[in-house]
Amino acid sequence: MSETSTKVAPKVPSAEEVALIKKFLNDTTLFLGPDPEIMRNHDLMPRSAEEDAAMKNLSDAHTVAKIRDRIQAGCDEGYEMVEQMGAAPGAKWGDIITGVYSASGDLAIASAGGVLIFSALVHHPIKFIIKNWVNEPTVGVRDGDGFIHNDSRYGNVHNTDQSMILPIFHQGKLVCWVASTVHEGENGAIEPGGMPSMAESPSDEGLKMCPFKVVENYQIKRDILTFLQNSVREPKLQYEDMKVKLFACLRIKQRIEETLNSDGPEALVATLRTTMENVRAEVKRRVSEWPDMTVRTYIIQDSTLRENCVVKINCKLTKTGDRLIFDFRGSSPEFTNRATNTILAGLKGMLAQCFLCYVWPDLPRGQAAFAPIEVITDPHSIVNSSYDAPNSQSLMSIFTGFTAGQHAVAKFLYSCPEKYTKVHAPTFNMINTFIWGGVSQHGETLGNLCADLNGMGGGARSDTDGEHALAPIFATMADIGEQELNEEDVPFLQLVSKKMTRDAIAPGKYRGGQGYTMIVATKDSEQWGFMTTAQGAKIPPIQGLFGGYACGCYPLSKVKGVDVYDVLQNEPHKFKHSIEEIMNDQPFEGATYSTYHMGMGFEISKRGELFMISQGAGAGYGDLLERDPASVIRDIEEGLMSQGVAERLYKVKFDPVTLAINQEATDAARDAERKARIARSVPYAEFIKSWNKPTPPTHLQYFGCWGDDITKLYMGSADKFRDADTPRPNYMTHPKDVRIAELEARLAALGAMGSDKQ
Amino acid sequence: MRRVSVDIGGTFTDCFVVWDGKHIEAKALTTHHNLALGFNEALSKAYHVLGLELEEILSQVDSVRYATTLGTNALIEHKGPKIGMLVTAGFEATVPLSRARGYGEGLDNLGQQDLPNAQRPEPLVLAHMIRGVRERLDFQGEQVMPLDEEDVRTQIRELVDRGAEIIVVALVNSVVNPVNEQRIEEILLEEYPSHLLGAIPIILSHQVAGRKGEYVRATSAVIDGYLHSTMYHALSALEQNLRAHKYEKPMLVIHNSGGMAQLNSTDALQTIHSGPVSGIAASEHLAMQCDLGNVVATDMGGTSYDIGIVVEGGIKHYDFNPVIDRWLVSVPMVHLVTLGAGGGSIASYDRMYNTVKCGPESAGSDPGPACYDRGGMNPTVTDADLLLGYLDAANYAGGSIPLNPRRAKAAIEDALCDDLDCEVIEAALLIREKVDANMANGLFTELRARGYDPKEFTMLAYGGNGPLHCCGIAQNLNIDRILAPPLSSVFSAVGAGNMHQLHIHEQSLYMVLYDSNTRHLFDDYARFNSIVAELKELGTQDLQRQGVPREDVCHSLELDMRYGNQLVQTTAVIPQHEVHGVSDVMAIITQFSNDYGKRFGEGSQAPEAGIRINTIRVAAFVRHETVKFENIKPVPAEQRTTPPAPGSRRKCWFVGHDSAFDTPVWSRDAIEPGMQIAGPAIIASEVTTFLVDPGWTFVAAKQGASWFLRG
Repeated sequence: MSETSTKVAPKVPSAEEVALIKKFLNDTTLFLGPDPEIMRNHDLMPRSAEEDAAMKNLSDAHTVAKIRDRIQAGCDEGYEMVEQMGAAPGAKWGDIITGVYSASGDLAIASAGGVLIFSALVHHPIKFIIKNWVNEPTVGVRDGDGFIHNDSRYGNVHNTDQSMILPIFHQGKLVCWVASTVHEGENGAIEPGGMPSMAESPSDEGLKMCPFKVVENYQIKRDILTFLQNSVREPKLQYEDMKVKLFACLRIKQRIEETLNSDGPEALVATLRTTMENVRAEVKRRVSEWPDMTVRTYIIQDSTLRENCVVKINCKLTKTGDRLIFDFRGSSPEFTNRATNTILAGLKGMLAQCFLCYVWPDLPRGQAAFAPIEVITDPHSIVNSSYDAPNSQSLMSIFTGFTAGQHAVAKFLYSCPEKYTKVHAPTFNMINTFIWGGVSQHGETLGNLCADLNGMGGGARSDTDGEHALAPIFATMADIGEQELNEEDVPFLQLVSKKMTRDAIAPGKYRGGQGYTMIVATKDSEQWGFMTTAQGAKIPPIQGLFGGYACGCYPLSKVKGVDVYDVLQNEPHKFKHSIEEIMNDQPFEGATYSTYHMGMGFEISKRGELFMISQGAGAGYGDLLERDPASVIRDIEEGLMSQGVAERLYKVKFDPVTLAINQEATDAARDAERKARIARSVPYAEFIKSWNKPTPPTHLQYFGCWGDDITKLYMGSADKFRDADTPRPNYMTHPKDVRIAELEARLAALGAMGSDKQ
Repeated sequence: MRRVSVDIGGTFTDCFVVWDGKHIEAKALTTHHNLALGFNEALSKAYHVLGLELEEILSQVDSVRYATTLGTNALIEHKGPKIGMLVTAGFEATVPLSRARGYGEGLDNLGQQDLPNAQRPEPLVLAHMIRGVRERLDFQGEQVMPLDEEDVRTQIRELVDRGAEIIVVALVNSVVNPVNEQRIEEILLEEYPSHLLGAIPIILSHQVAGRKGEYVRATSAVIDGYLHSTMYHALSALEQNLRAHKYEKPMLVIHNSGGMAQLNSTDALQTIHSGPVSGIAASEHLAMQCDLGNVVATDMGGTSYDIGIVVEGGIKHYDFNPVIDRWLVSVPMVHLVTLGAGGGSIASYDRMYNTVKCGPESAGSDPGPACYDRGGMNPTVTDADLLLGYLDAANYAGGSIPLNPRRAKAAIEDALCDDLDCEVIEAALLIREKVDANMANGLFTELRARGYDPKEFTMLAYGGNGPLHCCGIAQNLNIDRILAPPLSSVFSAVGAGNMHQLHIHEQSLYMVLYDSNTRHLFDDYARFNSIVAELKELGTQDLQRQGVPREDVCHSLELDMRYGNQLVQTTAVIPQHEVHGVSDVMAIITQFSNDYGKRFGEGSQAPEAGIRINTIRVAAFVRHETVKFENIKPVPAEQRTTPPAPGSRRKCWFVGHDSAFDTPVWSRDAIEPGMQIAGPAIIASEVTTFLVDPGWTFVAAKQGASWFLRG
């Protein structure tokens, strides 16, 4: 027997009722959390009535240009101030941005230098302030106020970056905003340095500052400052840089006020809006020049920084007409208790960076440069995580997402009639550096990282090799610093600081720019430690281009049970200045030598223990058999490559003593290799038949879509998955529990497990 | 006073002779194959004016002083020996990697932002010629790993076998403890004794630069090694030329520190940019002697716009890590900013903003602006200036370059008019407005970043295009006083004539004046005083070696200081050179606080984070008699006289005015001191054009000085 019922369609509420509901909900908001309406939109705000009127009154492009140049000079001045005055290492190497935002919160003009990812992110917290605090009687936005912010969920890369935001008024009316953002490092998280890989929830990620008022009458409120200092490991840094950012904003404010006085508020408003609309239109025009087509690619992350696994970043880039659409569906589901997720805005910010640094470097810095480009993702995925998932190591997904984009874009640029820079293979994309913390030789508590993260190898170009240790993917003119100056502040030495890592190459007709070796050892502190946070110890985090290869893999190596400073004093001949020699020769008796993935949680280091890593190489371009043999020999001479690797890879024949090339033998070896390639090849259909498998392998923890089916996302094994549109928790077991279980299983197998298991 | 000073530039050798109150300017083409020939020719022009012979002059002058671009040119042309380099093992790639950012040093903003096009400059020392030696010192100079002498011998031999013509040694922390660098020098001398033919010169980094920073110090040493032999031979040849003509005193070489020294106390790096630095020195001297207050010195030529700051009170602006060519180095150099804007700056259509872009690309002098008619197709600032009526097509550069207005017009029409939908004059006005605004924005950032208000400055405008664009630039900055200085055609040589013998010695250190952790104030007065005394003694010895009596040596003390862990090191000039108690320490802290607040904003100081001294610097100098300028201030308005009738009139267009002005034109020679001309007006000389915009007034002063006043 079946029961039937007739469903009555709910009554559609009237406009009046909708308003009542809205008012009720507004009046009863429990918590002003991250606002999806703000956070999902990276486009410009609609033109306001004030902007429209101002633009009608000031339509002369040349006057707008004059005012814009003046404001640009003000932003650059503010940038220089932060770089000079800032105490955070990030400020010193240019991990900064300063900018002027429209009254609606869009970033119109940014400093020419600095980290451009911020240009697509800091508008979110300003829009939060506009939406929530302007009319909030307990807060308000007044002349002389300043707001601080760092929580990525309200618009940031990660919580280690802090912004100071000032509203600018003219005769009582808000006309624009200025902001200054710096990668500060330490933020009181579970590990020092501000980017904890051990974070299993947002509660482990340190300070979570939604935008709030910290400055009144242009003065930092001491009570709030004290609270913030009390919440971090470096109260000095927190104090110094809040002040620095405030004064940089005040300097930009002066420049704006000069414009307000000389040209009036309408001219300013019109200039900001016109600038953004012009750039947006130019981007649309440039995109329309690209060929209509689709490119598919992917990048693999090889760990969560806690355990080895295979995590897919899937990317399909489609261009039709003047639309460009990044489709990241099929990428791994978010990790509920791992920190490598990113919020969507972070991914978008880094894609914006890709365009501003690597595609159209001539474009002015601002939000408009990425505004018309579309991005699609699955909900609660690793590139669009929920607000409950930790994301302090978002760089892992932001950077691999960037590389997927960079790899796909290169194929469009190759066919593009007008190029604004060279077609190039992906840049190395991981922060292969040491994050450090503890008590220094001067008794100061510190937590931050080595500037070596800025030494990522450049990708090979269509006509030349990549540059070694060129720049981080997120900034230009960044600095890997001076070790003599660093050593004044920290209690460890880089015993090897800058020496090219031999054979860590990305071959091709043009090779990628290589990375260098860093070997560190604590010297003058008993309370000091290191951590590393990078992918690429087992699977390269980049791809080669047009036949070029990705870089090699770079594990972390450690030598424990040795005080290398004793060795250097008493048996100095035993110390070798390369990872290769130390790990292969194992010269220190009684020491233990080991390798790890690059996700080392914060680890206390005893005096003289060695931690060894290498910066990575950018990807190669073109078939390596076409590489000029003379270039191969030059690489050997410069210590980039061993003779054996050169011969094996490039099929170059030469005299091992004089390095004179035997051209005839080289030609023959290369011909033979080409023939061998043909012999190894099979028809496409046959290849697909043997290559394709229906599900991910069982011996790997695999996350993301498998093959072309992006509707199903695997969550660690072939039998655990979710519908792409239907989020589910994706918990990882604590590595120690995994290890305990393994050991218990072995004990049980040996019959040694007692019955009193706890 | 009798004195000869010379500025040997890329094109001209400028000569300035002071002879018993007479000031003689002379110029000759630079003779690159033998600099002495150009010098002799320039000087011959001067002694003809005086009615004397060369030997008569050279035997009677108190000094001959040289500023030269020789080193800069050698760097750009990549003429230097094959360098072998020894560094601390583990730091072999420090120089090749150039702190990562080395790809963009010396480039404009676009060049720095375009990462796919990034290319480091051709290295001065090849990667395979850099060897690590097994040694290591820590930040306090303590030996962490002793020097392996056998290793050093092996590396040196291999470098020599590979063709090293000079050895540069740059070890980590050698400025704190130079013992290992010094030992390597001894080993080299043991292996390759100086009296034998195979001897090889050696440069030790700690002797070239005294500050911490292994990369910048190594680069400085490399450049020094690279230029050493070229500079030595060229300057020695100059000195021999002087000797051959009866000059018996030491030749003095201008340094980029703003001082000068004898050849035996000069290293090659110190001579780079000494010409432009001399121009700033001349500005400083002029400002001081004529009571001009704060001055911003601007030199606009064909391809660049150099800016230097001279402020009242003797505060010197130095770059401690300037970029020389494409290299970041460590040398205290008078602060000098070069913008890519000049007469040759190319104008183009800015599609994004539907307006005009100007520079940084330049047509240079070859092919040059379109109106040069030498094949240049791009419109430039000079083309716009010509069409706007400012330049005389037949008499440009003294008539040496005939200008073709038709080429200028065609270039501007082709590149801009269609896109902008405007007439050629409108486009030319946009070019002028844009280039003036670019330079004004550069100047603004420069002054404001150091805490100065442009309105409080007098602008000094020199160089071929300076007096032509100065009104437009000043207007953008609300500057009301511009001075085209006296003797402007040889202004840098004038500066060289006013330098003092000077040596700077500095020491990097970790000295905490206020420890915010322990809340402890500095009390190791003996340490401070002994370091200052040691640096003073080094400078005194330098000058004594050049024959200066000990009692004539003066010293100034500067401290590079910072709050907490900042990057910035604000330089505080400290009047008291010794510290004996808390009040002395507090005086230093107060001085630093004042300087910092002025630069970054009052209230931005952060002493709560701690206060540190990073560098102690002592300048040792001896004062020389200086050139006396006449009173070049503009005479009061009521005393000014009217000029004779203009020689001609031209139709000129100005920014902000819809129609052309029938503009009077004078020859500069016809204008006597005290004469006043209201703009718009043109006053033309053989080397430049003084353009007086509407709203400005031109006032001639003594010694060929010219004022532009507004309001």
